[in-house]
Formats: sequence, structure tokens, C-alpha cells
Amino acid sequence: MPDRARRWLASVVTVALALVVVFGFVDGEPSETDRVAALGTRIRCPVCQGEPIADSPSETARAMMRIVSERVASGESDAQIVEYFRTRYGDWVVLDPPFRGATLLLWLLPLVALGAGVGLIASRRRRVPDSQVDA
Amino acid sequence: MSSAIGYLGIITAFVSAMALVVHGFRGLRDADRAVPGRTRLPVLGIVAGSVVAMLALEIGLLTDDFSVEYVANHSASTTPFLFKVASAWGALEGSIILWLLVLALFTYVVWRSHRSRGDGDRLGNGALLVMGVVVVFFVGLVLTISNPFRVCVEARSVGCALSSSFPFSTAAVPLEGLGPNPLLQNHILMAVHPPLLYVGYIGLTVPFAFALSALLLGQSGVEWLVRTRRWTLVAWIFLTAGILLGGLWSYEVLGWGGYWAWDPVENASFLPWLVATAFLHSAVVQVRRGMLQAWNFILVITAFSLTILGTFLTRSGVIVSVHSFTQSAVGPALLWFLTVVLVVSLAVFGTRIHLVASSPRLDSLASREGAFLLNNLLLTLFAFVVLAGTLYPMLVELVTGTQVGVGRPFFERLGIPISLLLVLAMAVGSVTPYRAARPAVMWERLRTPMRLALAVTAGAVLVGARNGWILVTTLLAAFVVAVAVRHLWSQALRSARGVPSAVPGAAIRLMRNDAGYWGGQIAHIGVAALALGIALSSNLTVEDQVRFSPGGSVDFAGFELTYVEPFERVESNREVLGARVEVGRGGDVVSVLEPRLNNYFMTRQAVATPSVDQRLRGDLYLSLTSIDAEGATLDVFWFPYIWLIWLGGALAVCGGVWAWLVPRARRREDRPEAAEVAHA
Repeated sequence: MPDRARRWLASVVTVALALVVVFGFVDGEPSETDRVAALGTRIRCPVCQGEPIADSPSETARAMMRIVSERVASGESDAQIVEYFRTRYGDWVVLDPPFRGATLLLWLLPLVALGAGVGLIASRRRRVPDSQVDA
Repeated sequence: MSSAIGYLGIITAFVSAMALVVHGFRGLRDADRAVPGRTRLPVLGIVAGSVVAMLALEIGLLTDDFSVEYVANHSASTTPFLFKVASAWGALEGSIILWLLVLALFTYVVWRSHRSRGDGDRLGNGALLVMGVVVVFFVGLVLTISNPFRVCVEARSVGCALSSSFPFSTAAVPLEGLGPNPLLQNHILMAVHPPLLYVGYIGLTVPFAFALSALLLGQSGVEWLVRTRRWTLVAWIFLTAGILLGGLWSYEVLGWGGYWAWDPVENASFLPWLVATAFLHSAVVQVRRGMLQAWNFILVITAFSLTILGTFLTRSGVIVSVHSFTQSAVGPALLWFLTVVLVVSLAVFGTRIHLVASSPRLDSLASREGAFLLNNLLLTLFAFVVLAGTLYPMLVELVTGTQVGVGRPFFERLGIPISLLLVLAMAVGSVTPYRAARPAVMWERLRTPMRLALAVTAGAVLVGARNGWILVTTLLAAFVVAVAVRHLWSQALRSARGVPSAVPGAAIRLMRNDAGYWGGQIAHIGVAALALGIALSSNLTVEDQVRFSPGGSVDFAGFELTYVEPFERVESNREVLGARVEVGRGGDVVSVLEPRLNNYFMTRQAVATPSVDQRLRGDLYLSLTSIDAEGATLDVFWFPYIWLIWLGGALAVCGGVWAWLVPRARRREDRPEAAEVAHA
């Protein structure tokens, strides 16, 4: 096979494979059980030692998991379900810190750290040409 | 008796450590006094004292010497042999003795390095000074507020009520001890996991000691790095293995079906791991290219401080977790020590750094150096996220009194993207040339691996995978493996001058000649497998709670589970209640599982032991929650391909061991061909 044809074939195969992968990403949506499990990791079991209700074998956690799955089945959104537990047990019950209030800073800190790190690396790089102009 | 021997050991270690500090100071001020002969006796005294203390504690535990409070309250005559041995580090006071012993051995390691340089080795002398100060602190803890050799002076029928720190007090001997925490005597991994982690934690003291010494002396260059990188690697290997076995223990013992909970103490072990991993990489940049000198000092100081922070979190009672020891005065002491470490190291760093660090040079971000910078950025950012998420709830509660919840969702939301970027950086960065990478070279090295990774992922889509996290992890993991294998193949082919039959031999020669690099690649493949295992097992888990009546059966994840019968047996230290469950598939019985509940006599607390059927396609995991005459209730899980996690972790450890062992083995041989094999 001539070189050009082989390269052309390789490109076609690569693109075809990439298309299959992209199809895999866009096809399918999260099911109800996925949502229940995901919500279960976001709510703290109030009678355990810092465990989410999805991980705890206690009766309370089981009951809360049942509430979650009932509410998912009845069509409530994730935010509504989380809010339901928050009004009953307080902010503390939510293991997923909200992007506001007392936990806003927690979300901002890593962003600041990332910015600082990127800035540091970028500044080091720019300094180089100056010091090495004659090198 | 064991109490008095223990005291003897501790006091010997304390006096020796003080002597080491004094000699270290003299050597620091006067190079003529930085002589290994002067520090020999103090170092041997520290080692001997710690060994004696540890032996005394073990003898006390193994002979059921309940006149010692620690033995009476943390062991029992019915405790099996192995768990008696492990009880020495099962509770606060004993764990610090083990800590001390490992620290003593590392101090000896530093002294050996000092001795091998001969007289006038000021760097090694300064490192010994730092080791001495750390030893003084930990022996001081044992002597004052965390003493496992206290004598019991008021006995209960079981256990000890009151004790005295005076070793010759008249002892009141309880008839029986309380026994270890049931969670800790449920599985053999508990005997292994803490010592491994301790070696990892304490090993990081060695680079810290050398770094501080280099700063104090204003000694620039890579000597401190070259002399400590093997011990940093040892620390890393043990940390990795310790964390991995901790996850395995959690999975095999706790029965909740998981291996990692983002528990503050798990985080405390993960933090030094992240920073040590960053340091292993950035040390390469400094040794090969002279860059990142100041940064390496920061990483080492951070890693050491994080080990002390982890020790504080575990032992202060500020957190509630399966790991925490009881509350005690050790917490504040550790917090003070952490503060002193931070203040002193940062002050030394701030005042001396201009002496030791040169200006950075980076030719191009598109280079191996640039990849290492990205690696360090991501790893330290990850560490920062974990640190922030761990401490934030405590700090908010301290300041405002309100409790906020920070759990798995926070760590995963930030940690998963960072991890995936790290895996990508691992693939691309490890084959990027130093100084500046030309696009043509990169395309040549990445083209085929990219196609292979696409092919593997397309295959996964064709067999039905649709979960985005699984697909992206598959793509990246396959890319990492393909990049490493292709790189080895092409280099071996060149070194074998195109003769295919000579390629395997050439590949092994390459891997031995540059064991650091190829050990790293083995570890990368391990991390890729681990990432894939996490993605698969967590996204495809099937779980259910099943109530069985006797003889009843239920279909679960393609298996037919049948509750055959309950069983009951009495062992020396516990009563075991269990359910025998047959696992059927396609009409055949493929295995019989026996999840159990263990009731320990001394504590009356039931602990579940799950039963796992491990298969190639995944683990069928059964955990008993309750059992009575009318039936049994079980938590049943199906974890697809979870073995990839253990395999990946083991590979990462193997990569570290390869990098550690092979250069040493190679040095003993003649290496005629080593010179002619070119490095990438």
C-alpha cells in the first residue's frame, strides 16, 4: 500500500474510533437508581460517625434512603430533596457544602490556590528570556 | 517487671537523644566537631532504648502482665497471639512507642550516611541534630503524658481503673484485661497497616532533616537531595502500601462495602502521600536540571508538617472516626510541636533561602520540566483541596460554633477532575523530552498510543459502556499504558539495532539501567489501573438490602443467592454468629459465603465480617446486618472489577520497589554496556 493511502486509512480509522467514543459519551442518561445513590452520598447520617446515609447500615440511614428514593420516584429535583433534609436537620446534614454562606470560602480557596500556582509558573517562564537573552 | 524495663529503655533513649542534640549543635557551629565518632554512642543509645521499650511492651502484652495499665486496658488473656502483638500499637500510648522505634531506626540510617562520608560532614551532622530534636519530642511525650508503662494501682474486676507513673508503685493486678478494640482484632491487616504507615510517615523525617540542615548551613546544591532520595522513596513505598492496605482493611472488615470514605484520618495519610509524590518528581528536576531548589525545600517541610498534622488529627480527639484514639493531652502537645516545626522551618527557610536557591531557568513549558511543573501544580492543588476540606469544618466550628458538612461530594467534585488531569499529564509528560519538545517528536511518541486508547474505549462503548466517567478513565488509562509500552518498545528496538529477537533482553537492560524512570512508569501504569478500578467499581456498583427467610432465595446481579442455614461457634475471644449463603449461577452452586457477626466477650459490641466471592468480573460482597430464628438480613453488593484497585496499588508499590532495589543490585555487577545505552 502506498504511504499516502496508508496514512489516509489510519486517519479514517482514528476518526471512526473517536466517533464511537463520542457516541458513548452522549448516549444514555442517568437512571433513577443513580440519582438515589448519588443523593445518598450527599446527606449525612445523623446518628453515625460522619458517614453519609448511603454508607451507613443504621436504621435511621435506611429510613432516610427510603425517603430519598420515594421523593426521586415522585419526580422531585435533587435540590428539593437536599433542601427537605436541610430544613429538618440543619446545614450540618448536607455533606455537599453549598456554594454560599459559611462554605463559600471553601470552594473559593482551591480556585485561588490554582490561580496562584498558574500565576507562579507563568511568571517564572516570562522571566527566562530576560536572563537568557545573551546565553 | 515489664514496666520497669520499659522505663529503662525510655530513659536511655531520652538521655541519648539529648546527647545527640548537644553533639549536633557543637558540630553545627564547628566543622571539626562534626565527626561521626562523637554521635555514635547517642544514636546507638536511642536505638537500644527504643528497642528495649518496644520489647518490654510486647513482653507485657504476651505474658498478660495486667499490672501494666496499658496491657490491662488494651489486651486480654483470651486475645489471640497475633493480636496481642499488634495491641502494642492498637492504642495511643503504645503507638507512640512504635513511632519512636521507627524514628530511632531512621536516625540510625541518617547516622550511617553521616559515617560513610567521614569526618567533617556538616550536612549529615546537621541532619542528625534535627533527628535528635524530633526524637527528644517523642520520647518526651512518652515520659510525660503518653506513657504505656504506667503501673496499675487500682484494679477493676476487668481492666484497670487508676494508674501511677511511678514504676515502683505497688501494683494492683486486675484478673483480666479489657481486650483490644473489636474493630482492631477482627482482621490480620490491622496488625500490618499501621506499622507500614508509620514507616512511611516517619521516613519523611529524613529528607526534612537533611533539608533543614542544608538550609541552616546555607549549603546549596543537590547533596541533600541525592543523599535522601532513596529514603524518600522508601517512605513513599511504605505510605502507598499502608494506604492501600488500609483501604483493603476497610473493605474486608468494616462491611459497609467501601474502601475509602474521605474520613479525616484517611485524608491525613493521603496528604503526605500527595506531597511526597510531588517531591519525588520535583527532586528529579532539581537533580537533572538544577531547577525548583526553593520549591523542593517547601515540599519537604510541608510533607513533614503534614505527617505531624496527621498524627495530631488521629490522636487529639478533634475528630470522630474509626481511626481516632481516645482524647488525651497528647493532642495539644502535638499541635504545639507542629507550630514549632512550622515556625522554625519557615523562619530558617525565609532567612537562608537566598543562600541556597539559584534563579530558575525554564526554556519552554512544553518540556519534561514543564510537565513536572504541571504534575507538581496538580498534586499540590489536590493536597490543598484535601487539606481545606478536612480542616474547614473544624475551623468553622471553632470560630462560629456552627457545624458544616464537608464530605465525599466535595472531595470527589474537585478530586476527580484533578486526578484525571494527573493521569493525562502522566501519559504525556513521561515521554516529553527535556528542555524543549518539538511537536514532531511528541506526535511520533503519542500517535500510536492515542489510537490504541481510542480503540480500547470504542471497544468499551461497543460492549455497552455509556457512563462518561468510565469512558474517560478508560481512555486515559489505556493511553498511559500504551505510551509507556510504546516508549519502551521503540527504545529497546533501537538498542537491539532492529533485531526483534534481541528486543526483550534490550528492554530489560533499559529498565535496569534507568530504574528510576522505568520504576516510575510501572507506578504510572499502576495508578492508571487503580483509576480505572475506582471508576468501574464505583459507577457500576449494584447494592441491595435483602431479608432472607430460612431456605429462601433471591436473584441479585445475575446470581441466585440462597440462605442455607445459620451457624454459630465460640472462639477463644468471641462468639461468632453467621449465615451460610449459597451462590448460584445458571443452576450451579459456584460458592458458599459465610458473612458473620462477631460478638467480643470483653466489649459486647457486634462487629460484622463480610464475606466476599472474588471473581474476574467483580466481587460479590455479602455483609450480615442481623440474624435470628425467622431469617437473616444482609447487605449485598456487586463491585465490578474492583480487583483493579488492589492490582493497580500493588503495581505502584512494585514500581517504587523496582526504582529502589535495582540500582543497588546493579552496582554490585560489572556494567560494561551501561555506558553505551543512551537515555531518552
